[in-house]
Amino acid sequence: MPPIVQVNDLRKRYGDIEAVRGISFFVEPGEVFGLLGPNGAGKTTTVEILEGLRKADGGSANVAGVDVFSDPSGVKRRIGVQLQASAFPDNLTARETVRFFAACYDLEVDELALLRQVELEERAGQAQAKLSGGQRQRLSIATALVNQPQVLFLDEPTTGLDPQARRNLWDLIRGIQSRGTTVFLTTHYLDEAEILCDRVAIMDEGNIVALDPPRKLIDDLLNRGFTKPVLQQKANLEDVFLDLTGHEIRDA
Amino acid sequence: MRQTVRLFALLLRGYLRDRTALFFSLIVPLMLMVIFGYLNLGDFGRVTVAIDDQAKNQSSAQLVQILEGIPTLQVTELSTAEALTKLRRTELDMLIVIPKDFVIAPARPGQTVPELVVYGDDARPQQVAVGRQIVAQVIDRLSFAVTQTAPVVAVKDESVQGVRLRYVDFLVPGILGVNIMQLAIFSVAFALVADKQRGVLRRIMATPVRVPNLLAAHVLTRLVIATGQVAVLLLVALILFNVTIVGGLVPLVIVALLGTILFLTIGFALAGWATTENQVPAIAQLITLPQFFFSGVFFSKNAAPELIRPVTNLLPLTLLNDALREISVQGATLWDVRTQILGLLIWTVAGFILAVRLFRFEKF
Ligand SMILES: Nc1ncnc2c1ncn2[C@@H]1O[C@H](COP(=O)(O)OP(=O)(O)O)[C@@H](O)[C@H]1O
Ligand SMILES: [Mg+2]
Repeated sequence: MPPIVQVNDLRKRYGDIEAVRGISFFVEPGEVFGLLGPNGAGKTTTVEILEGLRKADGGSANVAGVDVFSDPSGVKRRIGVQLQASAFPDNLTARETVRFFAACYDLEVDELALLRQVELEERAGQAQAKLSGGQRQRLSIATALVNQPQVLFLDEPTTGLDPQARRNLWDLIRGIQSRGTTVFLTTHYLDEAEILCDRVAIMDEGNIVALDPPRKLIDDLLNRGFTKPVLQQKANLEDVFLDLTGHEIRDA
Repeated sequence: MRQTVRLFALLLRGYLRDRTALFFSLIVPLMLMVIFGYLNLGDFGRVTVAIDDQAKNQSSAQLVQILEGIPTLQVTELSTAEALTKLRRTELDMLIVIPKDFVIAPARPGQTVPELVVYGDDARPQQVAVGRQIVAQVIDRLSFAVTQTAPVVAVKDESVQGVRLRYVDFLVPGILGVNIMQLAIFSVAFALVADKQRGVLRRIMATPVRVPNLLAAHVLTRLVIATGQVAVLLLVALILFNVTIVGGLVPLVIVALLGTILFLTIGFALAGWATTENQVPAIAQLITLPQFFFSGVFFSKNAAPELIRPVTNLLPLTLLNDALREISVQGATLWDVRTQILGLLIWTVAGFILAVRLFRFEKF
């Protein structure tokens, strides 16, 4: 199967800032692909170009078989997105929010089934603005699934969530992948990338500096003779935290 | 079309849940109407007139007697000096000075006609206008009587245009106009700029939604709200103040909707230009405040300083208020107010062009 996302020599600058400096990569259908990097690396710029929301300065990009630059609407019809910074229309319930986005795609959907998929069915009638952070992220994923997208783009989906909510979201993402949807996510959490992603691209200052499955990146590093200065602990503080507070999600 | 209707249904539902927005679009206009209506802040049912009769002859006595007999006028005799003091304290609406040479007789060639001097309180232009009109009519009648030897009566029965008009009847169309303006400009500008700033519009633009459909849904939402607002205001005006609406309700609502569309284009232009929410109130006030004061909302549009009246008479709200008032008060038809409608349409086209130029969902 041909790659579902194909990026060639993509460039973008804002005035003096070269945010993306000619990156090339592809994403296989059905994988969870992670774009990993520190703040300001150019992750959001890259995904928003692929989503047809920003204009690139050079290169080419093809998503779900559609050329992004010449047919952004075609891309938008085939993908689902969760933006890093966005909000929903005012004064709607969770269910109405899903309906609103279905209307944006001019589709009829089973809103409750979508909410059930993200474990929000009981919150269907609740005002969207009154949902907790984790619930809002899950609602956001529900709205991104209304058009049964071929690729789901998630820009830092777990930033700001507590450990339970993060794990819950990971399960959700794995579930989406198991139903055949390709997932393209950005993160600056290394554990998240390691656990969730089939392959990760590490981005820094507008360049992709490595791209491989997480395991291979680690092995390569070890093969270069790398050793951790301190002995690897068998558990870390997060394990303690989860042991004490449980894996149960708190805001559901 | 289907997309527009679905988006509209949800936007309207959201809007109706917004207590603050509803408060501003219904309670505030009602409060304005009730306050101005009950306190009769601009009542001109009674015009207080002082007369300084310097002639003290038969003609002047006749004039004073007739004026005293007109129920709209509350006449007292005062010296010019006393009356002017009272005028300055706005205890009087106007002062009529009858000159020494006053006489009701056919003017002979080469002779100057006696001049009545009328002082008016600038703060109460409506009353002064009515007072002047009455005096002018009385003089006309008296002159006519002399020249045509017809009886010197009939003045009391002659209804000067506007005299029978109560202040609330005058007020209600103005309240409608100003609230159409406020609702259209503020609700669109605030809501869309907030959506822009919070990233709602970006999220929507990540879908293949057709932008004209989305905008149409926003416009429809406001048209429905505006219609509801007009209906509630009219209902309250009818029930509470027993307001007389001489013209038809249909033309009134049509003009109201034309006005809404006009001010919506301005709202969209403003929303397009502004990037943060704090910019909105300043510019919106800049646009609406002058119209609030000079477009004849609470008082006659002639309350505007004479110097700027050529401009204020062409303001969108002045045109809207004129049309609403002529329909409501004088029973005008749509055809009668075609000049104002044409003006509103011209403004709408200008606003639309501006909105299209300025409106951007994002800046990337
Ligand atoms: N709209 C913009 N205008 C100007 N500079 C921007 C804009 N968006 C991002 N940048 C700059 O581009 C660089 C990359 O930003 P971004 O793509 O948001 O990175 P990341 O998502 O990895 O944190 C940063 O230096 C950022 O300041
Ligand atoms: Mg980012």
